[in-house]
Amino acid sequence: MAGKKTLEMKYKNAGWCFVMPAAILIFVLSFYPMVRAFFLSLQSGLANNLHFSGLRNYIRLFQDEKFLASVRNVFIYLVFQVPVMLFLALILASILNDKKLKCKGLFRTMVFLPCATALVSSALIFKSLFALDGIVNTWLLSLGILAEPKNWLQDPVWAKIIIIITITWRWTGYNTVFFLAGLQNIQTSIYEAARIDGASSAQSFFRITLPLLKPVILLTAVMSTNGTLQLFDEVQNLTAGGPGNETLTISQYIYKLSFVYNPQFGYAAAVSYMILIMVAILSFIQIKVGDKN
Amino acid sequence: MIYTFLITETGVDPAGGKMKKTIVFGMAAFLVCSSTIFAWGSKKTAKADPNAPVTLTVWCWDPNFNIYAMNEAAKIYNRTKPNVKINVVETPWADLQQKLITSLSAKKTDSLPDIILCQDNAIQKNMMNYPKAFLPVNGKVDLSKFAQFKVGYGEMNKKNYSVPFDNGATCTFLRKDIIEKAGLKVEDFNDITWDRFLELGKIVKAKTGTALISYVGNEPDLIMIMLQSAGTWLFDQQGNPYIADNDVLKKAVSTYAEMIKAGVCLTVTDWNAYIASINNGTVASAINGCWLVGSISAVKEQAGDWTIVNTPRMGNVKNAVNYSNQGGSSWMVMANSKNADTAMDFLNRTFAGSKELYNTILPSSGAIATWGPAADADAYNQPVAFFGNQKIYTAIVEYSKHIPQVKYGVFNYEARDAVGVAMTKIIAGTSVDAALKEAQKNVEFQMGY
Repeated sequence: MAGKKTLEMKYKNAGWCFVMPAAILIFVLSFYPMVRAFFLSLQSGLANNLHFSGLRNYIRLFQDEKFLASVRNVFIYLVFQVPVMLFLALILASILNDKKLKCKGLFRTMVFLPCATALVSSALIFKSLFALDGIVNTWLLSLGILAEPKNWLQDPVWAKIIIIITITWRWTGYNTVFFLAGLQNIQTSIYEAARIDGASSAQSFFRITLPLLKPVILLTAVMSTNGTLQLFDEVQNLTAGGPGNETLTISQYIYKLSFVYNPQFGYAAAVSYMILIMVAILSFIQIKVGDKN
Repeated sequence: MIYTFLITETGVDPAGGKMKKTIVFGMAAFLVCSSTIFAWGSKKTAKADPNAPVTLTVWCWDPNFNIYAMNEAAKIYNRTKPNVKINVVETPWADLQQKLITSLSAKKTDSLPDIILCQDNAIQKNMMNYPKAFLPVNGKVDLSKFAQFKVGYGEMNKKNYSVPFDNGATCTFLRKDIIEKAGLKVEDFNDITWDRFLELGKIVKAKTGTALISYVGNEPDLIMIMLQSAGTWLFDQQGNPYIADNDVLKKAVSTYAEMIKAGVCLTVTDWNAYIASINNGTVASAINGCWLVGSISAVKEQAGDWTIVNTPRMGNVKNAVNYSNQGGSSWMVMANSKNADTAMDFLNRTFAGSKELYNTILPSSGAIATWGPAADADAYNQPVAFFGNQKIYTAIVEYSKHIPQVKYGVFNYEARDAVGVAMTKIIAGTSVDAALKEAQKNVEFQMGY
């Protein structure tokens, strides 16, 4: 009895030891700053001349046109980009999972390759593609579709579309890997049974693949939502938030409040807490909708 | 990911005791290491002997311009003070501002250098937010021979905190070959108004298909050039935003919008695209600070094609002149410096006292001084081959004598941004009055922290 208990304790201790280093690091580097940031978000003032002001920063947010514009932009990216990207990733994963597909390794590498590109590089690639004298304009001009070069990134609508294309290019492969892993856990016998019952491949995709992949879809949806709300690098390098406020993201606004404008750290912290609240609410909704059990 | 995690968890070695010790030891080692690293950073060494070696650390950006100038200044200073080593650390402006604000806000100043280079636009902001971070140079550096509009940027409570460096006098850089193709002459562009510039732009566009000028879409640089040339800014004397009722601004914004709508002015996404548009002949001119000389001269094949004239002025505006300023930066001595007196002496004998320095740096970097006596240096009176043997530096120094002085104010970046946003709205069809009213509201919002 006693021997068994010590073994169990040893077993538990080992578990704690494995978890502790990561847990301590997360606590010190993540949770502690989060708590401090919350207290900071209750203070107003410039630079170090801060004073306690309660929830004033949070009330100010709703009168701040720049903040509201950034939230609107981020939600536009979210609504258009995440579903398109996840759908593309699912299709790519299904194709790559096909037993009859040749050169599977090559295609998998190709799909995942954009993910190995640094965020800044991918933004710069797309920026040069859509530059005034970039390849897209050159093609469209030579095909006679455009009469004169279009200033893509200076157009409020096109700038958003190009940002969405860039993020989709960069992150689709990443999500495909998750779906591939999920697909490989689905027994092939289920598909065989469906085929014997006369199901078409579209039917087996919507009736078998989708429901069985639900947990993975949920995971990728939550991760993508989280990533989009914190979008910074791509937009900063593609458009720097312009034209005007048309592509500004919430993270860019936090940067501006801290380092470009007169530093308003309290207010910047309040903006970052709004991202946290939005991520929490959206993830909660997604989990409620996605996971009925 | 979840599955792999479960697998590793079930695979835990039951003999966890040994493991625990190793981990605890590892973590202790990690903590000891990190605390030693942090301790290194705060180690201080006191020096009393005047001839003991002293190192002054300087943060500035641009190896071909500011860094080069600083290194040349160090060479000159070392002839009399060989014990002083100037350690220039290349720090791009955005990084510099970020590091500065982070360190000053955390009150952890020992990682900061002795001297920084600061954009003139940001001096007031940095001084107001961190009044104890910089040292007044009065009595230690002779500021009397600098252009006064430039000295004014670093003034707070009757004290001066900055030593002016490069000149930001604006000029119109013209592609002679393109405008001549349009049947125009260089003289047509000298001493003109913006309305005339727009007309000329339409002629160039019609005859050659080339736009006359380009700017970075997000940055309202041109508006700022226009405002300063009329001696006004986005803030009034009391520092309140002066946007919605600023008639000069309204006129500036309308002119800019008209130029864009007529295809006379192209807007590009960023600075690189801007320089490219100038270098590859997408546009026939550039109006910006004279520091653009370096970027323009980079294309050797265009030697002889370029020339400079003064900046267009705003027609029917009181006090408007054909001269303005854009960009430029100044040196500041940090209060955390342990060798502040040496730093002051260094600046006083080089940037505020060496004709030789300015004579050396001008030909190879195009860095034009705001220090009066430099103008008699030989290099300033030489014809420049790239600009068709025009004596451009003599002209620029002359321009800079007429630049109206304005106070950029503490909330300069907020106001610039708001005007930039208003510009986008005006181009999209919003009325000038409505857009500027909104900009005023937004700046007031940012100031109501």
